[in-house]
Amino acid sequence: MDAYNVEPIESVEKSKSKTTKTILVVDDEPDIRESVKMILEMNGYSVVMAINGDDCLEKVNEYKPDLILLDIMMPGTPVTEVVKKIQDIKIAFMSVVRISDARKRGLCAQGNIVDFFQKPFNVAELVERVELILSE
Amino acid sequence: MKIKEIDLKNIFLSKLNRKLTMLFLIVGLVAPSIAIYYFYQITISAMPESISVEQSALLETAAIMIIILIAIDAAIIGFFVSRSISKPIKKLYNATRQVEKGNYNIKIDINTKDEIAELAQAFNRTTATLGKMEEERREIDSAKTEFLSITSHELRSPMTPMKAQLQMLEEGYFGKLSKKQKESLEIVVRNADRLDNIIVDFLEISRIEAARLKFNFRETNIEETVRDTVKLMEAFAKEKNIELVLKIKNLPIIEADPDRITQVLRNLINNAIKFSKETSKIEISSETKNDHILFSVKDYGVGLTPENQIRIFEPFYQVESAARRRHGGTGLGLAICRGIVESQKGKIWVESKEGYGSKFSFTLPLEPIRKIEPIKVLFSQKSSIDRKIREEFKTMLGPLGLGEFEELKSKNALGKDDIIDYIDSLIQLHIFDTKNGIVFKNKIGQIFGDKKENINGTKIIHGISLKW
Repeated sequence: MDAYNVEPIESVEKSKSKTTKTILVVDDEPDIRESVKMILEMNGYSVVMAINGDDCLEKVNEYKPDLILLDIMMPGTPVTEVVKKIQDIKIAFMSVVRISDARKRGLCAQGNIVDFFQKPFNVAELVERVELILSE
Repeated sequence: MKIKEIDLKNIFLSKLNRKLTMLFLIVGLVAPSIAIYYFYQITISAMPESISVEQSALLETAAIMIIILIAIDAAIIGFFVSRSISKPIKKLYNATRQVEKGNYNIKIDINTKDEIAELAQAFNRTTATLGKMEEERREIDSAKTEFLSITSHELRSPMTPMKAQLQMLEEGYFGKLSKKQKESLEIVVRNADRLDNIIVDFLEISRIEAARLKFNFRETNIEETVRDTVKLMEAFAKEKNIELVLKIKNLPIIEADPDRITQVLRNLINNAIKFSKETSKIEISSETKNDHILFSVKDYGVGLTPENQIRIFEPFYQVESAARRRHGGTGLGLAICRGIVESQKGKIWVESKEGYGSKFSFTLPLEPIRKIEPIKVLFSQKSSIDRKIREEFKTMLGPLGLGEFEELKSKNALGKDDIIDYIDSLIQLHIFDTKNGIVFKNKIGQIFGDKKENINGTKIIHGISLKW
């Protein structure tokens, strides 16, 4: 529900400034979504949220985000399938799963996967690394 | 040809078979001998002298032949009779050996329709029950590990938004905080971190127990790994003005997981710093010995009592609750270290003298162990120590010992010193002479790990062989 409430505001903001980068936050946990959204918005990014892999694909088409912060373990279409369909947008994983496990599942092979945030993440580090990713 | 050889071997190997055959043979010799001797005597005395002389040779030969034939017959019968008993017993024996090895799928097939067959059936039923129990135990064990793993993951997910929000508050995302608010927040953050550390450690333990611990074996310069770890820990040591002394001897480049070595070393050095006084030193040494590398961390801190030395690697084992609370930590560090070291077929141990310091050592095989085995990290040694003490009481004091053991246990006096005092009192009461008392004391000492076999096979005595 939250996701739909914020849509109109974002599209307005987006039209206001072209330099504002859009980040798609995908997580099935509402509190995590909300927290990440708060952090990123307060650092000047425009944030769209999706609640699972299928929702993520829809939002990607709709908003064309600059970066996707993607949880690995979510109900619905497995993330391995989801990432295959997104080839031209930067993806950073956010997961409680360790990076070594993610690599084992072959999740980090794709070229557009740029970072991995271990949950629980550090706020300052998240902001710093997102900034770095989007400045490249 | 070969089959015959094995058969023969089997026949001679069966003691029961040999014994019974011999018995039959002897009976087969003695009984007809006596009977024929009498018969011979009667025949001889009944015959006139002239005939008897003539016939005696023939009679004697016939008598001996009959005796030998009867004896052989008896032996053959004896052999088959005893074989019919010894064969199923041999089968039962072999099956028992299999059960001993943990193979509960064994079934003996004996259809002799007698007591031995009944025994075999009872045996089959028992092994089936044992097998079921073993299966249940395994299921419970894996359920425990699985439960630990799932709960740890589940506990970790709420940590993510919690920590994020706390950090945002801390970093002033929602405005400047008053001094009191800041103090309050600090306490919450510190404890959230602590909780998260415990959860992480739990996950690690569940991985060790399920043999899912990740090892990333690669070409590793051990010297570099040790130096880097010590360098990393120097910052923490400086806070207490502690000097880290590094001793390195011919370290090779081997295939190993440097992160795991660092993890164990860091933990040991961290503990050493925690329990050292200010401005003391910690010696870290590493050298190659035979087929392994020996690492050790020696401090001049508070040291450990003999009891604590054995139980220190148990999870949540509290050495000294007040000190531990002061030092923080999850209480799982050494248990995880043990898991990491033993998963790689290494050993970890401690030598210590109370009040003088401790030396923690661990080994790493030069050849990496690719097949990681599950290690029971959550297993407590306390019950196994109690059981050993109970056995010792039983052997040394007879049936009386069990009562004495229970009494000491109820007084919570099963520590090493308590038992030594108790044995002294027995000697004073002349229940034990001094010699037996010493034997008893030594045995108790052994249970508490007084004399421990070093990995090189040389015996060392805790706190005595060490120079502090």
